[in-house]
Amino acid sequence: MGDIWEGLVEAVKLIFSFDPYVMRITLFTLYVCAIATFFGMLIGVPLGSVLALYRFHGRKFMVTLVNAGMGLPPVVVGLFIYLLLKRRGPLGFLGWLYTPRAIILAQIVLAMPLIAGITMAAMQNVNPKLRLQSKSLGAGEVRSTLTLLRENRLSLVAAVIAGFGGIISEVGAAMIVGGNLLVNGEPYTRTLTTATVLEISKGNSTSAIALGLILLAITFILVWVMTLIQQGTLLNHPARLARSLMSRRRKEEPA
Amino acid sequence: MSSFLRVEGLQHAYGGRQVLDVGSFELGEGEIIAIVGPNGSGKSTLLRILNLLEEPTAGELTFWNGVRLSTMTRQEKKELSGKMAMIFQEPLLFKRTVRANVAYGLKMHRVAKEERNRKVQEIMERLDIEELAERDAMTLSGGEAQKVTLGRALVLEPRLLLMDEPLASLDVPARKSLRADISRLVKEMGVTAVYVTHDYHEVLEIADRLAVLLDGELQQVGKPTEVFGRPATEGVAEFLGAENLLEGEVSACRQGMADLDIAGINIEALCEEPPGSRVKVLIHPEEVVLLAGSGDAGSARNRLPARVSDVKALGALVKVDLDCGFPLIAYITLASREEMGIERGRRVTAVIKATSIHVLPYVGPGA
Repeated sequence: MGDIWEGLVEAVKLIFSFDPYVMRITLFTLYVCAIATFFGMLIGVPLGSVLALYRFHGRKFMVTLVNAGMGLPPVVVGLFIYLLLKRRGPLGFLGWLYTPRAIILAQIVLAMPLIAGITMAAMQNVNPKLRLQSKSLGAGEVRSTLTLLRENRLSLVAAVIAGFGGIISEVGAAMIVGGNLLVNGEPYTRTLTTATVLEISKGNSTSAIALGLILLAITFILVWVMTLIQQGTLLNHPARLARSLMSRRRKEEPA
Repeated sequence: MSSFLRVEGLQHAYGGRQVLDVGSFELGEGEIIAIVGPNGSGKSTLLRILNLLEEPTAGELTFWNGVRLSTMTRQEKKELSGKMAMIFQEPLLFKRTVRANVAYGLKMHRVAKEERNRKVQEIMERLDIEELAERDAMTLSGGEAQKVTLGRALVLEPRLLLMDEPLASLDVPARKSLRADISRLVKEMGVTAVYVTHDYHEVLEIADRLAVLLDGELQQVGKPTEVFGRPATEGVAEFLGAENLLEGEVSACRQGMADLDIAGINIEALCEEPPGSRVKVLIHPEEVVLLAGSGDAGSARNRLPARVSDVKALGALVKVDLDCGFPLIAYITLASREEMGIERGRRVTAVIKATSIHVLPYVGPGA
């Protein structure tokens, strides 16, 4: 128990002293997760929408793939990406193995099905007549789909939360394809999760606890912000405040 | 009235199953046509086809600008769609403010912001919904929401307004108010409208013409009074709630006047069917006149001695069930009932003019 308490105190000191090593790993983790979530959304949201709104040959197979993808083990994804990117693999010529790009690629593969699957489920739950209504008011295929996505923004934010949460906490794929490397003493492919595993294996529980705490804090803050966006409080509150100030000013003016 | 929209040989099937075979009909500019029929008769499908949201299996549509469905280009389809608007049964509003909902179609048609704001304001004032402008559309009552959908459709100044049972989900006061708004605004704006419903009562006030669609087939199109007065088929009569729809046989026919045998009772009616033909006979209850005793029947050809088997007060009217060899229903006023002392068991004479008896072709069971 004493070790844990000591570890916690040390961890807090490490965080608030803005230790360069810890800061770099944290920023690198945010960087790869943000890019992977962005690309996961870029592919997942349209894919989920198409699967929900259109009927075509092979749709069922694709739905099965997306659903299966939602439960992909990160280690298996890491292994698969490793086999693709290794020097003699089909994509070996890219030279991406043990680079941040490899981690991003693996994380896109992990996040995309989560985002596509949740988008698909949400879009399927919308009254199909809403799209007809949108079309009958002049929206084409794309704009009527965008309208539906906007109607579903709560679920879309949930999809992004799920995608981001899924990749920021995974360690297997990042470890396999990134290699947890330091280059010239600087973290190169070291994420918060891979660094935590390394610190534990070295018996350095203070650093491991610090990294773990940072990971928890980041996940909590980002999910909290996204939840505020989802529930409309973050964006609506300032707008509502501005509106109320404006109307108060208008009322005061004649007086 | 010039032809605004012509429908020819329109058919539609889902998975090989024919759901629509409406033949041909025309829509005049500025008229309101009500398409009535039971649930599942293909009304909404017809509406979606007219709105170019669905392509029919066969048939041709010719629009007001001469564009035909069969040769329509993408651009023409887009332009035509922009001149139509549709209102569905449920008020399908988007999760945004009322103002943003009303502006939606204009935004989709890329109308400039100032123009858009002006038009939205104008239509909201005409519908008396300005005070709802900044409300979240999801917080509106059913009647308010449907009013907003009407505004959202009419702000586009459509040439053709398509309405799919817009009052179905509303309570009686909301129905009454919205029906009045639809009627007033559609006429004021000179919009041609197609109004689909399974409840024909709601369109009698506002429709210029009535079309009856049964099992995907258009059975009759005409002025509401014509369709109600002289239903073309037994199906139409039944759907429109005909209460005295009787089976009979033509026993003699001369110069358009026939003797009909209904359950052994002879009545005279206007009819061209040859003797021996089985027919359906429609007698509107309000066209049956009751006389106490034998009374004076005037020029009416049919005087049937009857016994009152039941009497039910229906507000200002009284429904009288008669037995005159066959069951017959008559409607009389409360005052007439008191004057004649109409009670169960009372003997009366039912008088029916030959011109008030409508003879329809017989369609056997399962036909």
